[in-house]
Amino acid sequence: MDQTRTLFFTGKGGVGKTSLSCATGLALAEAGKRVLIVSTDPASNLDEVLGIRLTSTPTPIPEAQGLSALNIDPEAAAREYKERMVGPYRGILPPAAIASMEEQFSGACTVEIAAFDQFAKLLGDPAATGDFDHVIFDTAPTGHTLRLLTLPSAWGEFIASSTGGASCLGPLAGLEKQKVLYAATVARLSDPAATTLILVSRPERSALREAERTRGELAELGISNLHLALNGIFTAAAPGDAVADAMTERGRDALANMPAGLAELPRTETPLLPGGTVGLESLRAMGGAGTPPPPPPEVGTDLSLPGGLGRLVNEMAEAGHGVIMTMGKGGVGKTSVAAAIAIALARGGHRVTLSTTDPAAHVREAVLVEVPGLTVTRIDPEREVALYRDEVLAKTVHSLDDAGRAMLEEDLRSPCTEEIAVFRAFARTVDDGKDHFVVVDTAPTGHTILLLDAAEAYHREVLRTQADLPDYVRSLLPRLRDPAFTRTLIVTLAEATPVHEAERLQEDLARAGIRSFAWVINQSLLASGSRDPLLVRRGSQEAPFIRRIMVDLATRTALIPWQLEPPTVNSDAPKMLTRSL
Amino acid sequence: MTKLEVYDPAMCCSTGVCGPEVDPALVTFAADLKWVAEQGVTVQRYNLGTEPQAFAANPAVVKEMEAGMDRLPVLAKDGHIVSTGVYLSREQLAAKLGLAATGKARPGGSCCSPKSGCC
Repeated sequence: MDQTRTLFFTGKGGVGKTSLSCATGLALAEAGKRVLIVSTDPASNLDEVLGIRLTSTPTPIPEAQGLSALNIDPEAAAREYKERMVGPYRGILPPAAIASMEEQFSGACTVEIAAFDQFAKLLGDPAATGDFDHVIFDTAPTGHTLRLLTLPSAWGEFIASSTGGASCLGPLAGLEKQKVLYAATVARLSDPAATTLILVSRPERSALREAERTRGELAELGISNLHLALNGIFTAAAPGDAVADAMTERGRDALANMPAGLAELPRTETPLLPGGTVGLESLRAMGGAGTPPPPPPEVGTDLSLPGGLGRLVNEMAEAGHGVIMTMGKGGVGKTSVAAAIAIALARGGHRVTLSTTDPAAHVREAVLVEVPGLTVTRIDPEREVALYRDEVLAKTVHSLDDAGRAMLEEDLRSPCTEEIAVFRAFARTVDDGKDHFVVVDTAPTGHTILLLDAAEAYHREVLRTQADLPDYVRSLLPRLRDPAFTRTLIVTLAEATPVHEAERLQEDLARAGIRSFAWVINQSLLASGSRDPLLVRRGSQEAPFIRRIMVDLATRTALIPWQLEPPTVNSDAPKMLTRSL
Repeated sequence: MTKLEVYDPAMCCSTGVCGPEVDPALVTFAADLKWVAEQGVTVQRYNLGTEPQAFAANPAVVKEMEAGMDRLPVLAKDGHIVSTGVYLSREQLAAKLGLAATGKARPGGSCCSPKSGCC
């Protein structure tokens, strides 16, 4: 493939963006190019992958002629940015004012903008990357960030004017002098001669759906030079191993049903690799060059694995009612875990409402209805966002000018808005937790809870009115913080990036005064019983993460083995509850 | 020329879409400020989240915040605080600024309309 100067890898956490970036960079370097790899993944293991300590300036990789790398932690950049904005006012403004300023810079949006700021510095300053033929980023800005930055009003009078300010651009206001740089960066991203965006996905239905969504967003922005990288293609070594066979079949099925928009893209496929991607040899193998390194020695696990979900369910059932929320990044199986818990509680004689955003859930509702005591309500995020958007626009349409309306409409497309809209829908069912169980497969982040909290205080104290504040919000926040009423389960996989992301969710919740009840480790190959050599080696790599969760992160831990059936609401639920070792 | 300064609480979005409900009061207030500006008043609006320097530069505003963050928003006319803790209606703004209240009136039923007595 003839590579453009700039490459961006994008995809959700844990799909292998960093590994693929490195493999691509190494292949280009070995073809004689000078390559800079830039990692902005906060969970980056680039140091480990390349075997060298990296900093925020390019460091040459000793064993790979022409290859350099640098590491940027956007969270650290966001913290620095926050400190730069807030720090000068410590001791000058009252502590309460400082605290309220800080929360404004604690959302995902600030991290996004901080990361974009770093991209822009590297791309926009010729001196920063002039020594390199290619610059490879292991993360890409989201469609939302790009749209915001392309709005003329984002930079125009709206920010400065009396009506100014917008959610994700609040943090940006101090960066106005970067306007030209940002505009050039956005333009370069959409120039097919300069930039390729590589969508990275696992061969799984949910991951491919997510990739398709990103593709659509980028295409809408005129970014058309897209490439699909399928990472982790697996074929069983020999037929007969139930887990390996099921995994092979599931991957095939996902690829056969790939969304049409993705199927049309130029594509690269990378097999599931046994030993991770640490070291240059592994990266060469991943890039399709050289022979795979010898397998790492099999790690014996002296780890005593945590129990299954059943024990947790029994403990939660004792309360007789309440709200149970499963929380985690996309692809970790929140819905399956929520469904398993709901079914178990219903079978235990409790009345249960399962509230889900899983787009495929409706297919299985008919089956689920047969579990006595269980009701399933489905929430369609797109519909909720549309309802919310219409409601907001209807209220404001007469009082905003065109620029203001454009800004408001983009505000309404932010991830925060989707979270708020979905949560409004969920919140209506939370009230039911007074007299029975409500299991919810999407929890609000701590940041959202703090914003809701601030909004509530604001309505109460500033407007001195509660007319606009729905009742559910008033009673919701104290309930979410009541450990006897609400139990939050953090769902993760025993892999580096998912554990890191789950840890951040936990910290974010803690900031809002909510402690997680338990962690659920899903899709464990280690506990799957597979004898397929590749899967056994993958499974053995889970051990340190499981240990870390049990020792450092969770008060209670449950482990669910990789399930033979695709993770559907109905089929795997009962099986998730028990586990034989 | 009269100058009106508005010191807002730290709001991640002044439209209120990040909250549980979009806040029509904020939207109306923004429109009212625009009207005030059209009457020849210089209007300056500061958000604590993004423009803390304006707050720090004004000891009277800092003093209000020390008394409680619910004192925001603070409205100051020519440097003198004229209201705290509330977004004034168009009529109230007109009265404070000595303007003749004309144009589109604020819809009734607001807690802050003069006859509600809550302000």
